[in-house]
Amino acid sequence: MPPDADVQGTIRNLIRRLRFDHGEMTQQELAVRVGVTRQTIIALEAGKYVPSLLLAFRLARAFGVSVEGVFQYHDGEPSSSAVKVQDGK
Amino acid sequence: MNASQKEAWFNLVVVLSALVMVAALVPFLGKGAMGGFGLLGFLGLSPVFFRKRHGAVVVDERDTQIRLRSQFCAHLVFWLLFLLAAMTAPAVYGWNGSVPVALVMASVWCGWVVLVGVMSLATLIQYGRGGHDAA
Repeated sequence: MPPDADVQGTIRNLIRRLRFDHGEMTQQELAVRVGVTRQTIIALEAGKYVPSLLLAFRLARAFGVSVEGVFQYHDGEPSSSAVKVQDGK
Repeated sequence: MNASQKEAWFNLVVVLSALVMVAALVPFLGKGAMGGFGLLGFLGLSPVFFRKRHGAVVVDERDTQIRLRSQFCAHLVFWLLFLLAAMTAPAVYGWNGSVPVALVMASVWCGWVVLVGVMSLATLIQYGRGGHDAA
């Protein structure tokens, strides 16, 4: 087990802002574009769900940005809209 | 509400209806009341909720994850109850006693009810935590 295996971090995303920056794209439009249900977009925006790498790339491509342009990893205390992740799990 | 949530609600209603039906029939039919579990046959209709419409996505990776976790919860509860029943049987029937055939049959039905019921509940709880529909 690596020494930092218990380090907790959070993943935040800019999906909501990117949607509005792209002509006020609706959640449904984005969902259809990336091949998920609207509920999944809602969960993503609410920070309740961390997508797979494949979906992360699809989202990034839908907005024409890199994955880091959509998702950011932060060390330390989580905010209410960020999803907690634990390294190695 | 997506297809998985609708299926979970439907399954929960079917399971509860079957339980109510059996409970209502027991005073009149005794062991024959287990026929009320026949209502569980309606569970076979649940694939209706997953019909594709105009190429819309019905199930995605999050739904699959939720389903897998729900199945895990349901099997965990099922096996815990199964172990509990097996361990308490000697206390009820004695080490050399015999379990009534009707009880064995009822345990199969109840096992199915537990699996479907817990899975549906776990599904609904997980979707409830996943954020509500935004305007």
